[in-house]
Amino acid sequence: MIPRLSLLIITLLITATCSSSAFTGIGNKRKAAQSHSTNSGPLPSLRVGLFTGSSGSSAQKGIIDELDRSRSFVVIPPGVESDPTKHSFELTGDSVGGRVTSRLKDGAGKVLFERSYAAPGIDENIQALSDDLTYAITGKPGLATSRIAFVSNKTGVKQVYLCNAEGTNIQQVTRHPHGAVSPSLSPDASLLAFTSYRSGFPEVTLMDLGGGMERVVTDTPGANFGASIAPDGRHLALVMSFLGNPEIFVTDLATNSAGCLTESIGVPCSPSWSPTSTRLIFSSDEGNGQQLYVADFGSEKSPGGLQRFNVGYQFATDPMWSPDGTQVAFTARSRGSWIVAIKGYPSGRTRVIQRAAKHPSFSPNGRYLIYVQNGDLYRHDLVTDSRRLLISEFGEVSEPRWMN
Amino acid sequence: MQDESTVVYALGTREGFDSPVAASLTPICPALSFIGDNYTVSGRHLVSIRKVAEKAKQSKIRLLIAAYTSPGLPEDHARSLSERRAQDVRQQLIEMGVDAGSIHTLGLGNDFSPSGPSSDVVVIYQASPSTISPVSDSNSSN
Repeated sequence: MIPRLSLLIITLLITATCSSSAFTGIGNKRKAAQSHSTNSGPLPSLRVGLFTGSSGSSAQKGIIDELDRSRSFVVIPPGVESDPTKHSFELTGDSVGGRVTSRLKDGAGKVLFERSYAAPGIDENIQALSDDLTYAITGKPGLATSRIAFVSNKTGVKQVYLCNAEGTNIQQVTRHPHGAVSPSLSPDASLLAFTSYRSGFPEVTLMDLGGGMERVVTDTPGANFGASIAPDGRHLALVMSFLGNPEIFVTDLATNSAGCLTESIGVPCSPSWSPTSTRLIFSSDEGNGQQLYVADFGSEKSPGGLQRFNVGYQFATDPMWSPDGTQVAFTARSRGSWIVAIKGYPSGRTRVIQRAAKHPSFSPNGRYLIYVQNGDLYRHDLVTDSRRLLISEFGEVSEPRWMN
Repeated sequence: MQDESTVVYALGTREGFDSPVAASLTPICPALSFIGDNYTVSGRHLVSIRKVAEKAKQSKIRLLIAAYTSPGLPEDHARSLSERRAQDVRQQLIEMGVDAGSIHTLGLGNDFSPSGPSSDVVVIYQASPSTISPVSDSNSSN
């Protein structure tokens, strides 16, 4: 049975309490563009030239390492002979006291941008420069400043942590006495949504990662979990059950009102937004096993649309759209084991990425998929079909979510 | 006219309810076991639920229904499944005459584990500690 779409508009029990957290922030990063693809072609070449100034050599080495890690360029370091006419791009700059100023020129010598980075640490400045270069040259967001949110029971209580794209620089974000779970990052990594058990009951909470302030968004009776921040930054999808059954709701963070998107007889969960914030995909059991459904949101042309997205498994959950909206990653049950797979959207082949794994999440550039296997966090390169262990022996890692 | 069996009762305020996560609560009856992805109350569960309903009606106590799942399920699915199980037990209690406003639900998935041999259970607690003796039913436990 297909769940029907209802538009019950309610006013949430907004407690809007604010508290200061010990965590101090990652900060506001620019919103990345929405059009990306995992297609691989010839990589542009980028010659890294002279960086002057007292910390110029450190900046130069740092940016070469960061660009190498991005796998988005053929990096030509200083001192390596090459034909200048064959350079796609050239980077020069200067650095004093950790501040970095850099100029990017194309092959014809035209300056594409000149920017200064004045964060307290040189590493932060180099990462920001690397992502700016990646976006300017490839049109895809870089990963150097991206963040992955995940849950770990390392301290004996489940708490939310953040790390970078390499699985390092791990920071504990929540310190709630009864734990915090189900994290979701905004696309610019400025906001973190999660479910807190601070009172013993679940509450969906928003944390400003720039300042560490927390705001309880929903404190309704019953379930409050599965929060997913829309790419537009204004809407939050989540599961609540105060009406009597668990249902998918969409909250407008500006007006503190919410609409019920489903009228389910089963177990709806794991809402995830399309890149345009106009559709939601979620999982529900409507009498035929846990399946994926897509609901239109905010579209006047096709109000009330709700379609099943058949991925070919009796049990599928944890759906997530790729950044370009052309694929959906999900967890499925196959022969008694969990698998991570992706399927083209709205149609296409299903590709199993990893067996004995669950909870996939795309990287902001769509090239990688992270997932959990045996309590460890892995990053899978969808272009080379190789994977790398990012986090292990850090308690039991679960629910990873790359900002997206 | 809407079929009575399709009526779903909204949850009342959480005020006055203690969570087993934050407080030491005693189950009022043996845990109700569920299997796999099932969230529907069975005839086996009804024996225990009926006894709880009688006690709740007599003593005017408030009930907190906390549900759990086995470890290893996808976490969000586990939370929704457990909430659905708790809601189904609540629905049965209401249909047996217990005041809807006196029953609250808490689907914990596998974020917390109950004491006992199985974590695929629904546990009915009195909302705040008291001296009321629990009901017993050997058919409903694992």
